[in-house]
Amino acid sequence: MGRARYVGEADDEVTDVSDETWGQFKTFENAVFEAFDSEFTREASRLIGGQDLQACFQCTKCSAGCPVSDKVNVQVHELMRMLVLGLREVLETDMVWLCTTCYTCQERCPQGIHITDIIFGLKNMAFRRGIAPPGYLAAREGLYNTGRLYEPTEWEREDLDLDPVPEFDIDDIQTLFEATGLMGLGKGKKKAGGE
Amino acid sequence: MGEQYEVFLGCAIPSRFNNYESSMRAVAEALDIELLDFEGASCCGTVVLKSIDETSWLALSGRNLALAESRGHNVVTPCNGCYGSLRDTHHVLTENEEHRNTINKVLGKLGLEFKGSVQVRHFVEVLYDLRDRIRERIVRPLEGLRIAFHPGCHLIRPSNVTGFDDPELPRKVDELLELTGAKSIYWPLKLRCCGSPLLIASEDVAMRILREKMQSAKDSGANCVVTNCPACHTQFDVQALGLTNEAGESLELPALFVTQVLGLAMGLDPEPLGLDLNRVPLDPIADILGI
Repeated sequence: MGRARYVGEADDEVTDVSDETWGQFKTFENAVFEAFDSEFTREASRLIGGQDLQACFQCTKCSAGCPVSDKVNVQVHELMRMLVLGLREVLETDMVWLCTTCYTCQERCPQGIHITDIIFGLKNMAFRRGIAPPGYLAAREGLYNTGRLYEPTEWEREDLDLDPVPEFDIDDIQTLFEATGLMGLGKGKKKAGGE
Repeated sequence: MGEQYEVFLGCAIPSRFNNYESSMRAVAEALDIELLDFEGASCCGTVVLKSIDETSWLALSGRNLALAESRGHNVVTPCNGCYGSLRDTHHVLTENEEHRNTINKVLGKLGLEFKGSVQVRHFVEVLYDLRDRIRERIVRPLEGLRIAFHPGCHLIRPSNVTGFDDPELPRKVDELLELTGAKSIYWPLKLRCCGSPLLIASEDVAMRILREKMQSAKDSGANCVVTNCPACHTQFDVQALGLTNEAGESLELPALFVTQVLGLAMGLDPEPLGLDLNRVPLDPIADILGI
């Protein structure tokens, strides 16, 4: 179940990750896949929105409307094909983290496949394997510590005569995240509720 | 009789765009919409937490829904991110019994339960219902304003979750904006994502998307861009500052919130509209806006 190898590449050689994009899997050119893993396809089918993923017939309408089609190495219809073929390398493609979550593909899919929701699930799977932009690690930390992504700007609120933002108990938020196992994800800990 | 909602502000508006909140409150007051504080609201989780872990996202977002529900109130939010997140959570928890049970088990630790009776609306959705009342309130027409309106993705897609407007040809907010005498222009990349969600993963790609959007708005003859989302507005009013294309031409356009445009045309006190907090200079359209 190894990742794709490239011609002339040693088994343990790692492809460079460019600063501008995401993922180690950059091209199908000369890629050799060691396994078509049907269990992976089933796993992806169980994601939120994953139920119809095998109905994809590669019309490429998703990629035609995607705002990052011309900015990624692997386009969204190719990502869908990799899922159907059971290629775990899909988690290493830049399409996963460069999906803007605009839902255009999902809205237009003639097969009614919940493509964007599936990509959210793939992000979850990648995050647990430690494949995620650093910004997401910082965001998780901030959400756990403060329950917010950004803090209110008090002087601006006073200038505009706005009341303080309603408060909440951070202990409540941390109780939730302890129960879901958020902070342990990607650190070899098992998630609550199994997985 | 006025409508009543708990207002879910989210994180981005109180942090970066307090003028969106204050202009929303001004417009709401003028239209007799009662906005109650949303006590105990945390972050909605948005696409950020959904990307990290869907169970945690459903729990955080579900807690907010359960809070409003426990008080018997419906929710309104001026933020597309919060709107999408809360509605999507509502959708998943209503449709999927397994997830609902998991999340309710977690929420039970806080003495809360998601039942699904709470309704989540975007502020522009509420405004659209009141369009006749708004029409009567227009006292200062904004003739000459050529708006590149950007609805933002999570207001209209996925349409089976949001259900507000036609996902391929949205017209409702445009209709509201045109009540002011402004023109909502056609621009080819209107429905294209603004790129904002990628600021966390790759600012480079986010900026390439923004350049395409701004060029499209400029080429179509817009003299401003209008949004109803603080994340999109971050792109248009913060990231676009000083932005140029390959030819070195400026890609800046004055960026306004829907509520600021309506508030001006309704002749509301300019103070709470907070136009001095908009970053891209409004000078090119100052005469039209009467500021």
